[in-house]
Amino acid sequence: MINMKTEKFISLLGGEFSDGKVEALLRRSRPRVDGAIQRIRRPEAAIGVVNSPLGDLLVALSERGIVLIHYLLGDDDLEGTIAKLRLTVDPVEDRSSVNEIGAEIRRYLDGNADALRRNVDLSLAASPFQKKVLYKLLEVPHGAVVSYQALGAAAGAPKGARAVGNALHNNPVPIYVPCHRVVTSSGGIGGYGGGAARKLQLLRSEGFALGKADERLPDGVVWGHKGTKIYCRTNCRTTARVDRAQVLFFADPGEAKAAGLRPCKICRPT
Amino acid sequence: MPIYGVLNCMAPPKLQLPPPFEQIMRRHAREIMRYLLRASADREDAADLFQETWLRAYRAYPRLEPNSEVRPWLYAIAVNLCRNRARDGARRTAVIVADDEANPAADRLGKAHRAHNENDGYAAVRLRELMSALPAKQREALQLRYFAGLDFAEIAAALDCSQEGARANVSQAMRKLKSMW
Repeated sequence: MINMKTEKFISLLGGEFSDGKVEALLRRSRPRVDGAIQRIRRPEAAIGVVNSPLGDLLVALSERGIVLIHYLLGDDDLEGTIAKLRLTVDPVEDRSSVNEIGAEIRRYLDGNADALRRNVDLSLAASPFQKKVLYKLLEVPHGAVVSYQALGAAAGAPKGARAVGNALHNNPVPIYVPCHRVVTSSGGIGGYGGGAARKLQLLRSEGFALGKADERLPDGVVWGHKGTKIYCRTNCRTTARVDRAQVLFFADPGEAKAAGLRPCKICRPT
Repeated sequence: MPIYGVLNCMAPPKLQLPPPFEQIMRRHAREIMRYLLRASADREDAADLFQETWLRAYRAYPRLEPNSEVRPWLYAIAVNLCRNRARDGARRTAVIVADDEANPAADRLGKAHRAHNENDGYAAVRLRELMSALPAKQREALQLRYFAGLDFAEIAAALDCSQEGARANVSQAMRKLKSMW
């Protein structure tokens, strides 16, 4: 048997199981496997690239809402972002549903404040704290901005302005979660994941009188106190003793009034 | 940054998504099942390993580099699971015993075993015994070559070794089997 032909050997190695047997076992096993995979399944998300006045955006949309909006800044950016996204969701390309998001963003930038209607799905938020910051940020209304410090305080970390900065840097759904509405305590514009120009563009569309390269909030801004429901000029003498965590900045007195605040009786903002 | 909306002369970039997992499963389920049936001891083991292989593959799928070969990757998972099972259960790759008395092929196999006739049925059983005595590396390479029909490049990818290594393992295994016969 030592000189048994190699082909014979191979046929012996491979033989044994008829196709019928394989098929039968396959039929029996498939439902079980499908069921098991179903239990650990990643949620499905429609993804696609949309163009907007803010440039090209990669958008991912799950059943629960928008999972991701990503400013596409370079060519290699796309692949890496999708690879990261795939760890949490199973992406399926779907232009049409993603284009609706693009349309909402376009209308929003044209000045329609209620254009952003879709829910957000913050399952890509990196940590519980970051998620909390983002949820708190959702409460900041159109026409207002908040400081990193105040947002940190609202999320339970009064000394966590830097941590808030990180959370916003990792914001999976910019525009809808308005991380452009966060500025420095001293009135500077601060940074933005998609570049400061886009932040200015967004703030302009929300009523702030900002130029193309402004680095500070304009003079017309008033600040409002969430606790007392009073709004003041930025140079009012009460600013010295106010709780910074409670402060929101508004583009102008009209916006503050619209948010349900009354003018200060000391500085009398108009 | 091109402005598609304004110039309207370029389409947005086409996304390059890897194929959905269902498609991979549809395409490869049959051959993975066939492989596991041949490589593992029995039907129940094969069914278990089959499920485990696809579960693991699903979990790991996002981490598979895009544009890399799916087939060797799947076999790598299957081979590792077979190896774990052999280690954990301390069960050697056992002789396949037919469970169906009415099955003529099984009947023939059983008779062959009893009679020690050197027909194909007996030879297959004996061959399996010999294979379970091979070093794991060589056995795995041999199984991938002849059970799964992978080429050496694919074996190398599945077993994480060089192509020459894969070739050497297969030929060593073949030589040993022939010499032990």
